[in-house]
Amino acid sequence: MRRIQIVSRVAAGVLGGWSFTWGFVVLGIALLLAAGMPYADAQTLLYLVAFLVYLVVFCWSFAAASTARVWLVLFGGGAAMTGLGWWMTRLPAT
Amino acid sequence: MPKGLLLTLALLCSAGGIAWLALAMEVHWQQVRASAAGPDRRTAIGLRVLGGAALAVSFGVCLLADHVTMAVLVWVMSLAASALLVAQVLAWRPRWLAWLTTPWAERQSH
Amino acid sequence: MFPTFRLSMTWLHTWFGLVLGYVLIVVFFFGSLSVFDREIDRWAIPETRFAPQPMSSFDTMLAPIFARMTPEADELQAAAKRVRGPLPATLVPMNWGAYTTHRDPVLSLYAEYAVPNNPDDPDDHVHGHVTIDPRNGRLLPDDRLKIGSEFFYPMHYGLNLTWKDLGYWIVGFAALVMLAALVSGVVIHRRIFRELFTFRPRKHVQRSTLDLHNLTGVVALPFHFMFALTGLTVFASIYLPVSETLLKPQAMAAAMADAKAKGLPFKPAGVQAPLASVDAMVVEAKRRWAARGMPGEVGYLYVNHVGDRNSYVTLYRAGSDRVTLVGQPIHFEGTSGRVLLEEPPPSAVAGVNDFLTGLHLQHFEHWLLRWFYVFGGLSGCLCIATGFIFFVEKRKRQHAKAGTGGARWADAVAVATVTGMLVATLAILVANRLLPAEMAQRGDWEKASFWGAWVIAAVHALWRSAPVRDARLSPAWAEQCGAIAALAFAAVALNWITTGDHLVRTLGERFWPVAGLDLALLVAGAIAAMAAVALRRRAGVAVAETGAAAPDDAETANA
Repeated sequence: MRRIQIVSRVAAGVLGGWSFTWGFVVLGIALLLAAGMPYADAQTLLYLVAFLVYLVVFCWSFAAASTARVWLVLFGGGAAMTGLGWWMTRLPAT
Repeated sequence: MPKGLLLTLALLCSAGGIAWLALAMEVHWQQVRASAAGPDRRTAIGLRVLGGAALAVSFGVCLLADHVTMAVLVWVMSLAASALLVAQVLAWRPRWLAWLTTPWAERQSH
Repeated sequence: MFPTFRLSMTWLHTWFGLVLGYVLIVVFFFGSLSVFDREIDRWAIPETRFAPQPMSSFDTMLAPIFARMTPEADELQAAAKRVRGPLPATLVPMNWGAYTTHRDPVLSLYAEYAVPNNPDDPDDHVHGHVTIDPRNGRLLPDDRLKIGSEFFYPMHYGLNLTWKDLGYWIVGFAALVMLAALVSGVVIHRRIFRELFTFRPRKHVQRSTLDLHNLTGVVALPFHFMFALTGLTVFASIYLPVSETLLKPQAMAAAMADAKAKGLPFKPAGVQAPLASVDAMVVEAKRRWAARGMPGEVGYLYVNHVGDRNSYVTLYRAGSDRVTLVGQPIHFEGTSGRVLLEEPPPSAVAGVNDFLTGLHLQHFEHWLLRWFYVFGGLSGCLCIATGFIFFVEKRKRQHAKAGTGGARWADAVAVATVTGMLVATLAILVANRLLPAEMAQRGDWEKASFWGAWVIAAVHALWRSAPVRDARLSPAWAEQCGAIAALAFAAVALNWITTGDHLVRTLGERFWPVAGLDLALLVAGAIAAMAAVALRRRAGVAVAETGAAAPDDAETANA
């Protein structure tokens, strides 16, 4: 394995994993708020599962066949979930 | 019964239960009995039943000693401590566990 | 990148385990010490060697002490730079707090003082803090470093590295890697159930080391997993600060709605009014807790908007009888003593979180469970240390033949981390007994002894590591074990000489904080001495057998 490959995969797993987890938490809270859960409970529940999510994607990022796929899924997915969650919170409350 | 006594009883039951479960495994039976053969099928089942029962008794005693949330933690940690202890005894002085197999002594050829 | 899942997990476990293992073993070790942090404080500050006390009477003892408290000098100096114009001679106290646990003989008192005229921050404030002997109200010298709760404990969760929260982030990442190491370890362990109790100490080093690594990792796997996970969730708002950034509007709206619903005055009225009897409030709080089936003592007392008509007193219950953190706060109106609000039981989600947090932070009173936690943590240290040893042993022959130095540096850093950490820990305890009692900045000198000793141990480890290049054992291991034994016995002896509290006396009086630490030091010293002897003997044998390579069975070859 060339050094740049290793660095790229590690960066994708660590930083991509963190951004994916961030998006998961934001979207999760937004969904729970829309479902009527109080904010404090929504945040607490997402914090309880967040690091299990990070663990899964972190391990996956090293088992995955291609580094490009890891970058795409983790950063792309993280950005998408963050965007979707943020957009949901901007909607007028029903 | 004072709490200290209850917890001591719980620990002994945990240790015994774990030891019996270990003895049901071929390699450890061979170590402890210095025999070439492992336990036959009925002996292995008997050891597992006895081991499981001892762990259940241990859990019950833990519940008598403490609030349920603490009892669960105490019991889980006692299993880990027992496993570590049994592994060390099996590694350094396996014959010390031979007395735990006496109910099956005559049935086995050794 | 890897042809199979198992190989990818092997790579992950090996390389992340090695690099973050150096951090994790520090986190686990100081976590184990933190279980008995307050007991270590008693050893380090002989003036506090008396039995734990319940919270004292507020009306007769605490109120006059609070009235005489003043802000910390260094905080006042910093505040003076932030305000427009000079600071007033006396600052108005905003709130007061008193905190104790079932293990604390002393009571900590805190106050916040309003800093006026800060153009950037209308809520600017500084802090005051005193520690008192609750039996007589005497102020205790505040410059004594609480080595357990204010040094070893922060070392555990932040490496005592506060610059930009860097320590929190490093420890957090290490915790995530711990979870990944546990999962990947299970994946690569081929015979996890069959080898659950397997430990073969008489086989070659690689086999017995790997056996011990597997044993300590697997039997305490739920413990290691839960502690790493709950450690992360406790600090989740640092690692994923969504409520301070993207979701700030929602978080603030919810907090304000919550405060409004509770009916607790958010701001002072600006009108002075005296405080009613807090002792009467304590009696009422205890009555209400008992009525709900959870009798208890006050753990934390908080007076908000001191001296104002809007003041209110919050009493939290000390949670010593169960795992869940149970605050069960009750709020009283300051001027009249009537109950404003008895907080309802937490929601299901909050209840689960309180249980998991309580599992990690251990406010409960259960000595067996606390000792189980210590041994769980130490078995985690043993798992990591055997991991290092296995890594080096497996590679040092290959590296010796190829002439590369990788194994040598990994081994040197392992010595610096494993035995070096123990040397530093004992050095601060020895320094605590040796330094003059009335020395200025005594706490800073104690911390310097800790870090200085660790640096010396690290340099020693690097300097003595050359034999690893030739696939032999570094003498640094045995030498540092010898140093650990000497320091441990010295610490016990110095405690005797400087305080007179030798083991016969402390055991006779059943004063467990000091007796327990002295006994633990003696046991640690004895183990270190035996290890030093065994390692010296092995080094002598290894020189003779440099030619014979250890047989690599399938598992050690692929691990």
